[in-house]
Amino acid sequence: MKAVAALLTGLAVLAAPSRAAAPAAPPAADPHAAHHAAPAPAPLPGGSLYQLGARLEASDGTRLELAALRGRPVVVTMFYSTCTSVCPMLTLAMQRALAALDPGEQAAVRFVMVSLDAERDDPARLAEFAQSHHLGAPFLVAHAGAADVRAIAAALGIRYRQLPDGSFSHASVLTLLDRDGVPLARTQVLAAADEAFIAKLRATLR
Amino acid sequence: MRAARPLAALGALLALLGSPAAPATGAERVTLPAGEFTPVVAPGPEQKTVAIGAFALDATPVTNADYRAFVVRHPEWQRGRVAALFADSQYLAHWRRPADPGPAAADAQPVTRVSWFAARAYCQAAGGRLPRWYEWEYAAAADETRRDARADPAYRERILAWYAENSARALPPVGKTPRNVYGVMDLHAVIWEWVEDFGGLMVSGDSRNQGDPDKLQFCGAGALSAEIRDDYPILMRMALLSSLEASFTTANLGFRCAYEVTP
Repeated sequence: MKAVAALLTGLAVLAAPSRAAAPAAPPAADPHAAHHAAPAPAPLPGGSLYQLGARLEASDGTRLELAALRGRPVVVTMFYSTCTSVCPMLTLAMQRALAALDPGEQAAVRFVMVSLDAERDDPARLAEFAQSHHLGAPFLVAHAGAADVRAIAAALGIRYRQLPDGSFSHASVLTLLDRDGVPLARTQVLAAADEAFIAKLRATLR
Repeated sequence: MRAARPLAALGALLALLGSPAAPATGAERVTLPAGEFTPVVAPGPEQKTVAIGAFALDATPVTNADYRAFVVRHPEWQRGRVAALFADSQYLAHWRRPADPGPAAADAQPVTRVSWFAARAYCQAAGGRLPRWYEWEYAAAADETRRDARADPAYRERILAWYAENSARALPPVGKTPRNVYGVMDLHAVIWEWVEDFGGLMVSGDSRNQGDPDKLQFCGAGALSAEIRDDYPILMRMALLSSLEASFTTANLGFRCAYEVTP
């Protein structure tokens, strides 16, 4: 028996490196589960973007999990700071949606802009962008790593391609997420307020 | 190739030693050298070529046996447990049970009905990533003797014949097509394969079009400056990949992984 046990131990040790190759946290896990023992949050709905496990770095340098946005409805878009053609309109569309809300509603929502330019849009550049466009609270202008940018864009159905000159060709989409990160509505209307989208946003805040 | 033999022997030895706990899975990896490459669709109006860095690639697509080992270790990727965000309702629908491919999905057949998110998670667990499109296209431009055989009509004809022949029958086992000059197999004849940047392939190379939903959604190959306009297999593949969402799964869509190499 002892010999068998020793053999099993040996095999377990030999097999260990292949197990260690597994990622530390499965994407479906709550990233904060380890930090707070007291009441576990309800499991995320199957369609929630907060299952991506993506990490953001805000323009003020704060690092946060995408899932930390849970709790308030979110309007999210993807852009890049050096974009001169459509992104100004995209930013304006975000500001227009915010302006359509009354102050109480404004305090209950987040407006999130995630850069597609993982390489160059560092917090300093995003801070400059936020300042020049007067994007205070409830805006969050954020950078993410290249793999997380791909995942967030994929989950939002935002197609994009980096061009040889470093600019991006990308779809301009505003997406409304509910309090759990599930997409409820999206719009590609930039030139004027999308009334249906704003109505849905207000209904979600009620 | 000479260096590959001792490595393969070591791999086989490790597989034997580890076998009771972890069945030997995973494809052979081959290294592709860096190179300048002219993709079928030019990256931009003023640029025709792309610089490809050296990378390693699975010689064959990921199989049902490989994928079974993955879902056993990572049950959150089993059918029935995977979140709707990550895979549609047809994910692994042809498998007998969530962690058992069964007779309809032979061990040596490529795994299909897997989403981009699932393929990515698999490659991450294997220490790699999905190949980028240009890497995939670079690997697929080679035949048995040449790194770029695309100008040869005989090469193209053979690839087109493969596509015509394979669409109607059951998926063949992996590793039955000739190795190309890099040692990679099954790039054309077997399945469609996910790439990391599948969503951007047909996006216009003119950034002034960005945000115009009509132009962006409907500009097809005709709106792009295709360098090699009659390379139908590549254009077809790009069109198919561009039409997918990251949670989609189909009966002919699988993947293989790429890996960084230290120069």
